[in-house]
Amino acid sequence: MGLDFTVIWKNWDYFLWGRTFQGEVGGLLLTVLMALAAGCLALALGIAMALAARLGPRPLRLLLTFLADLVRSIPLIFVIFWIYFLVPALFRTPIPGALSVILALAWFSSGAVMYATLAGIEALPRGLREAGLASGLTEGQVFFAILLPQALRNLVPSYVALFASMIKDTSLAFILNVPELTMTASQVNTRAQIYPAEIFLFTAAVYYVLCAGLSWAARGLAHRLRPGRAAA
Amino acid sequence: MGFAIDWSGALTGQPRIWLLCGLAVTLAITLVAGAIATVLAVILTALRLSPVAPVRGATRALVSLVRNTPLLIQLMVWYFVGFGLLPMGVKAWMTGDHPWAVLPGNVSVCAPEFAASAWGVGLFIGVFLSEELRAGLNAVAPGQREAAASQGLGAWDTLTAILLPQALRNAYQPVVGQYLNLMKLTSITCSIGLAEITYQARHIESFNSHAFEAFAAGTLLYLALGLVLERILTTGRQA
Repeated sequence: MGLDFTVIWKNWDYFLWGRTFQGEVGGLLLTVLMALAAGCLALALGIAMALAARLGPRPLRLLLTFLADLVRSIPLIFVIFWIYFLVPALFRTPIPGALSVILALAWFSSGAVMYATLAGIEALPRGLREAGLASGLTEGQVFFAILLPQALRNLVPSYVALFASMIKDTSLAFILNVPELTMTASQVNTRAQIYPAEIFLFTAAVYYVLCAGLSWAARGLAHRLRPGRAAA
Repeated sequence: MGFAIDWSGALTGQPRIWLLCGLAVTLAITLVAGAIATVLAVILTALRLSPVAPVRGATRALVSLVRNTPLLIQLMVWYFVGFGLLPMGVKAWMTGDHPWAVLPGNVSVCAPEFAASAWGVGLFIGVFLSEELRAGLNAVAPGQREAAASQGLGAWDTLTAILLPQALRNAYQPVVGQYLNLMKLTSITCSIGLAEITYQARHIESFNSHAFEAFAAGTLLYLALGLVLERILTTGRQA
């Protein structure tokens, strides 16, 4: 089978940023923006949930783990649907497709961030928290000033791995016709008709470079952040 | 958008039939893709242990490719590209009439949508399963392999009769998690037109706009399927 990548060359700008300069952000640019937004939200939400689970009453911890497990036991596509159709019903305002996907991804991943953060903190020596409390810090100060920074050394690689799977999951935005990279590829495929191999292999390669690059960086970080290597 | 809930919009008449057809297709694709994933996981694990370095390298490359690209793109590749590469005769057979192969909702298990979905999801989860098995193998005592070899077992028998059962016991929870994941990921196959639960829920939504009821029904079906599957797999462990 001869491959003819002219179709990629002719549409490269459309793959990269879609119709961004006509006022509608799209393509790879939208994929990266959605992943970044969802990643920041999931990180903040997941760490807040970990804090609440550690310091809050036991029922709160049970509720948080229940919510995190519930959202993980239904397909991500349905989480996206729920946000897209429920937000307008509850708040009487339509929600853009891209925002629905960002919120769905953030909710979906915040549970994983919470579990990872809790595990990272529980792996620290117990004396750290006690020393902090004995020095007169509050539980919240101990969490943010002592435990979290030290746990981050072990956590950053798993956060990066979660972010890489988030990039892949943004492809599910096709379900709401959000013009991110996968949707863009699909559109070019429909228009060109006879080059599906070139188009989808190229798109796969773009995702591969992003995600494999991130996993590679995560491994490097894990190596550099190993205890004993970090400068004081 | 009004918000009066009317279950009859999703649970009576034609919509109910669609949902039940979708359930049958989701069950079928989960079973077939699960079988493919299981076989591929064993083969990939064996290839990762091959004494031939290029075989190990090629397997690692395949695992890396599958893990670092979205399943949706992989499905597109199998559906639009993989199917086109098949010999003419096979293509004609797959798109032909096979009354024995038709599931409720007029979905043929020989059709390219079903085949690409089963293969795509099966390969995707097969790769993740082989990674879990590899982690489980690392925890098997090295003496086990030596003992098997000294009993005269070949490499394949050692792997399937001695090492993999122990690896499976070590990695049981993550392996169950991967099969549950497989069931949920079949929802993505609606993108290439397989009429499973997700496809039918969207169908109802565009048919009568009962989005809330259709998605609630779909969500509950997936939750129930997940609970049943987990129960079956966890009971299998005790047996």
